Amino acid sequence: MNVELTELTRRFGRTQAVVGVTLKAGPGVFGLLGPNGAGKTSLLRMMATVLPPTSGTLRLLGRDPDGYGPRREIRRRLGYLPQNLGYYPGFTVTDFIEYFALLKDMPPGQVPRAVAAAIEQVGLGDKARAKMRTLSGGMLRRAGIAQAIVNEPELLLLDEPTAGLDPEQRVAFRSLLREFGQRATVIVSTHLVEDVAAACSEVTLMDAGRMVFHGTPGELIARGEGHGVGDAPLERGYSAVLAAARS
Amino acid sequence: MTVTSAPVRSTPRQAPQAAPRNMARLLWVELRHNAMPLVLPLIAVIFWFDSYRIAATLPPLWNTRLYYILGQGHALLDFAPFVAGVAAWMGSRDTRRGTGDLVTATVRPRWEAQLATWAATVIWAVGAYLVFVAVTLVLLGRPDVWGGLPWWSVAADGVGVAAFASAGFALGASFPGRFITPIAAFAGFFAMGISSQIGFSASGGWALILPTMSTGNFGQDAGIFYQFLPDLPMARVMFLAGIAVTAVGLLGLPVSAGGPRLRRSAAAVTVTGAAAVVAAVALAFTAQVGPYGTVIPALHDAASDRPVPYTPVCGNAGIPVCLQPAYRPYLSDVTTALRPVISQVTGLPGAPVRASQSAAIFATGAALKGLGQIPALGGSPPVLSLPLGAISLPDSFGQDSPSFISQLKVEFVHALVVSGGATYGNPAQQAVEAVLLQNAGIPLAAQPHAIPWPISSGPRQTATYPQPIAAAAQRLAAMPATTRRAWLAAHLPALRAGRLTLGQLP
Repeated sequence: MNVELTELTRRFGRTQAVVGVTLKAGPGVFGLLGPNGAGKTSLLRMMATVLPPTSGTLRLLGRDPDGYGPRREIRRRLGYLPQNLGYYPGFTVTDFIEYFALLKDMPPGQVPRAVAAAIEQVGLGDKARAKMRTLSGGMLRRAGIAQAIVNEPELLLLDEPTAGLDPEQRVAFRSLLREFGQRATVIVSTHLVEDVAAACSEVTLMDAGRMVFHGTPGELIARGEGHGVGDAPLERGYSAVLAAARS
Repeated sequence: MTVTSAPVRSTPRQAPQAAPRNMARLLWVELRHNAMPLVLPLIAVIFWFDSYRIAATLPPLWNTRLYYILGQGHALLDFAPFVAGVAAWMGSRDTRRGTGDLVTATVRPRWEAQLATWAATVIWAVGAYLVFVAVTLVLLGRPDVWGGLPWWSVAADGVGVAAFASAGFALGASFPGRFITPIAAFAGFFAMGISSQIGFSASGGWALILPTMSTGNFGQDAGIFYQFLPDLPMARVMFLAGIAVTAVGLLGLPVSAGGPRLRRSAAAVTVTGAAAVVAAVALAFTAQVGPYGTVIPALHDAASDRPVPYTPVCGNAGIPVCLQPAYRPYLSDVTTALRPVISQVTGLPGAPVRASQSAAIFATGAALKGLGQIPALGGSPPVLSLPLGAISLPDSFGQDSPSFISQLKVEFVHALVVSGGATYGNPAQQAVEAVLLQNAGIPLAAQPHAIPWPISSGPRQTATYPQPIAAAAQRLAAMPATTRRAWLAAHLPALRAGRLTLGQLP
């Protein structure tokens, strides 16, 4: 398994952000659904090795990130797009992605080609020399995705990747996700169920830090049959599971 | 096959063997996006206004022109607040920009990423300092400026810039926030201000290590008669480099900075830096401020004590007058000053047979008696030694050629009449001085009534002589020159020894 979580818990003071999550995932696109404050971002930050769990075990790409050496090896194979993408306004798109490629310890000889490829993959080729401060919200998001995929990660963690993307870009992005899912584990945190329906082969639904559903999108749709809340079948399944979890 | 049932894909990835090239490329990216260049025009304006503009008006001697810039630390003062502030801005960048998670989730330890940003910041700051100093030396060096250059002081201030940049960076990285830049800038300014104040008041001990401490730093004739002693600047390099290294090391100590091995390295770096600081302060405690600069026994190289060889340039003022060639522009003024006095005393017992420039030395030890600070007569036959380096030369701090000539006349007459030179002289001596000066072209009413010591570098204050002295001087002045000369020939040795009273004057 590329991702193995066992009873993973994270607390911030008295607040329990993630409570006893157990999950396994191999290659493919994995959807992480849930309302705001469900614990998706905390779970992704733990998987990105930037937030240590309070308890439970975490194995990523067959390694325990608790040890420094294994953690470095995980990070070498990791791509991560945080929910709130920070950026350096004075950097060009190319510089920004190159900067993170270098921090990911990519061999310098491979960096220029990898950076150019990542920029093309997210459709920012014509903005490669533009300063980050001049980009729109959607373009910034795409630049963030480009830095996440520049090192051809085996584990790609994307937190709200489609926020700010226009419909055309979202379609292209889902295609990119499916392509990556052929060779890597892609975990996409989102509250847009249509992204899950279009790209994910498996989905987990979280609420109040707990995992309340795990299955395929089809199984989630099945949960919503006869449930009246939501326009699309997956939305109805989403609402039905949440309602059941909260009742 | 679902996602959860698929096997782990195992792609072997070798760690790249080109880590140094990777870091070099990272540094290049950081150099191109560093904020330091944005503040350099402001520093340039302040540097020009505060350092260069004043130095350019000073006499064409390197030690004089650079005393203000390097000796009193104005160059560092111009750089330090801005460099510290901008470095704090760069140090706090990841937190301000919200890239902390992105950077942390990469392979490179946080400390290494910070080192690239820090290195770019320091390179810009120190590079700018070196360029400013180089341009200043070129501009100040036209057309001809004499003397050696205090390269170790240049290096010490350069390391000082790096120290302020490093401390500011560490402050910004440790306490990121919107106010950290002005706080770091103010802290830099405050540190320099305190350093300057201590430098003005302290005369030795640990305070010598401070970069703005001018005591024992710049000999008045350093680089001309004797070499700039590198001992103290070397200790300062150690002190300031220690601060820089400590600041960088501290960044690597938190758990988030990297792995155990890297943090152990950071701890070693921190300890090394702190040890350098402590060692430098300890060296300063052993320093002895001597006549030609500060000697630190552990760092001192005897080769630095060798005087600078030169071939004097000479003129004639009734007696040969020879100066170090650096002072050639003032030879004419010196002969003009000495000639009217020499003409009155030539052939008298104790009158000099020649005048020769001597090295000005620090006002300690023997210099407290005036030696090396004011002209003095010595030897047999008597030679007038002229430590011109201790006298405000024309074009320096309000001094002009006529006042320089007047001052030399006063000091020469004083050396001739008052043995030892550094005392005020008794009333009889003052009366004789007054007559000699009047005959040398300084009216009685314009003469200073006493020779203060240390000699003031500013314009001399004049005052009316006490009535008995003025009356005696007028009696002497009214005498025929031959009679006065005969009296001087008979009584000059007793007068010089202070054995004559006012009543014994004719």
